[in-house]
Amino acid sequence: MDVREKLNILSAAAKYDVSCSSSGSKRQVPGGGLGNACSAGICHTWSSDGRCISLLKVLMSNACKYDCAYCINRRSNDIPRATFTPKELIDLTLEFYRRNYIEGLFLSSAVVGTPDRTMEMLIQVAKELRIVHKFGGYIHLKAIPGASSELLYQAGLYADRSSVNIEIPTDKALQYLAPEKNHASIYKPMNFLAERKLEYKTEHSRYSPRFLPAGQSTQMIVGAAGETDLQILTLSNGFYKQQQMKRVYFSGYVPINADKRLPALTTKPPLVREHRLYQADWLMRFYKFGYDEIVDKVNPNLDLELDPKASWALRHPEFFPIDIQTADYEMLLRVPGIGVKSAQLIASGRRFSKIRLEHLKKMGVVLKRAQYFIYHPDTPACLRRLYPEMVRPLLLPKPQSLQLDLFSNQPLALPAVG
Amino acid sequence: MLSISYDSSFDGFLSVVFEIYRQHLDVGEIRPDRSESPCNMFMQPFRIETSDESAQRLKRAIINQAGLEILNTLDVAFRSEEDGIEMKILAYLRKLFSEEDSRYAKNPTSDEMLPIYMTARSVRHEEGGMLGMVRFSRMPDGTYFAEIEPKYDILELMIGHFRGRFANERWAIYDSKRGFGFYHDGKGREPIPICIPNMREVAAATKADEFVRLWQDYYQSIAIKERENPKLLRRCLPVRYWKHLPERQAPSKWA
Ligand code: SF4
Repeated sequence: MDVREKLNILSAAAKYDVSCSSSGSKRQVPGGGLGNACSAGICHTWSSDGRCISLLKVLMSNACKYDCAYCINRRSNDIPRATFTPKELIDLTLEFYRRNYIEGLFLSSAVVGTPDRTMEMLIQVAKELRIVHKFGGYIHLKAIPGASSELLYQAGLYADRSSVNIEIPTDKALQYLAPEKNHASIYKPMNFLAERKLEYKTEHSRYSPRFLPAGQSTQMIVGAAGETDLQILTLSNGFYKQQQMKRVYFSGYVPINADKRLPALTTKPPLVREHRLYQADWLMRFYKFGYDEIVDKVNPNLDLELDPKASWALRHPEFFPIDIQTADYEMLLRVPGIGVKSAQLIASGRRFSKIRLEHLKKMGVVLKRAQYFIYHPDTPACLRRLYPEMVRPLLLPKPQSLQLDLFSNQPLALPAVG
Repeated sequence: MLSISYDSSFDGFLSVVFEIYRQHLDVGEIRPDRSESPCNMFMQPFRIETSDESAQRLKRAIINQAGLEILNTLDVAFRSEEDGIEMKILAYLRKLFSEEDSRYAKNPTSDEMLPIYMTARSVRHEEGGMLGMVRFSRMPDGTYFAEIEPKYDILELMIGHFRGRFANERWAIYDSKRGFGFYHDGKGREPIPICIPNMREVAAATKADEFVRLWQDYYQSIAIKERENPKLLRRCLPVRYWKHLPERQAPSKWA
């Protein structure tokens, strides 16, 4: 089998892992070597499904000995199997990198032979890239569940980031869907890596190579096992706090296997829900929201019609409207329609002069949304109150005019009223 | 009232501002030579040649009064090549040099600064995106060559990034829209400016690079059909950049 065919099989097999980021590491090009790492991360292109591509994301092999229900590579599937040689993979990485297609390599693998054997193959590729080819670009290595701690530690010396995917948010559902796995077996490598990273920081000087400089990430499949958004966000909050995760990714379940334990093959991937979860995650990471402000026992699921920031604001009319001139920066950030950049501009501009409506527009504030949540010198006092039930319909996207497809054999689905 | 023309460079523009101050010129518009819009017939044409010395002196004055960061912002905004950006920057400088309140320089939201600031932001945004969208092909002589056509004049801003990353490689990046580029020899010397008269031939030679094919394959197979979203794709990756992205050239199965 030639490299081209392997590349096709092993990249298609890796595509359901949605993490793509190349951020969090900063490294100069090694002497006489190739490539550096840029802490902000760089997107090189976007796939036709609109996801950022920044790494060559492939499996070392897709010949898995496990049988996880949700996975395309499970052993009970009848699909073409392939395995890269380390050299093939290294050449691809370097040549793609030189052409500026990618920031580096994201290497994962199905479990071949034993978890340790698999992990060794991944480490060999990373080690050769770093040592023989003096490669300074980004490397993400998957921690194979069940691999020994000694191997995980080695992976951390060559990789920028490592990840173990939790995949299914509840332990019970995970064990049901992936008989060879459970939450404990996934937390173990995560915790091990988090602890080594902490330890390493205190024991080594700043000149020695760093241990997983870009930390860890993980991924959860959304919509495969009936979990609530509250469960998902509670779990990801824990990952950020306890395992010092850099990122938690959500992957709306795309039905690939006919399996009675899973949603039917005709189920559409829950893309809106996934999008809302990312918005919620964004609020936790950059807008100082607590996860329990975004969802709670009363509202365990995110509002699909409205973004979580607007939902939060409408649930808390007591805080709004705020005075643009004097409100805390943290409060500015919480106004729907005001982003981090415009909040910073407002905060620095208002020290010099009063901010008026036309200023806000020029700063890139989305007034169509923000107007109900702020007041400024031009607002009459009688309007300084927020009525959520009046504002909500105004924030919803305008209904698209209905397209009649008279040739389709699907009955026309009208949106439910109520 | 004068319609002042200059050679379209930033130093040229600063020389214009310098002369406006020195000769108390009554300026109506400032026209870069590249401008294709018709001259204003009611204004008297006036030419100002670029002077390194005047440009340097004005730069020093701006740094003293407002700081290096502001000078950079003006430079970056200038690279937008936006119609009328010269008059906006002039208005800001006039205010800066006449304002008594020394805090004026630090206010990004003043009437004069805000439009410049927002323009600079779009230029930096394109620069940041373009860092990922430069596509090198291996030429027969082993040089890695890339052609770009950015909306703004950002090539110079990007060079440092590629120097850092491909310090030991031979490469060239060429802005074919503006007809200039840089060549880096991989031996630690400064990248040097180049111009390429036979771009057609060069572009044809890039097609022979076999890794382009592998990259196109990879791009195809990484997409998830069930999630395809042309609208989102166009928002993230505007169509105007596709021309130089091999992955968007391949006959795509589902986009
Ligand atoms: S172990 Fe990994 S590759 Fe193998 S079936 Fe499970 S999820 Fe898929």
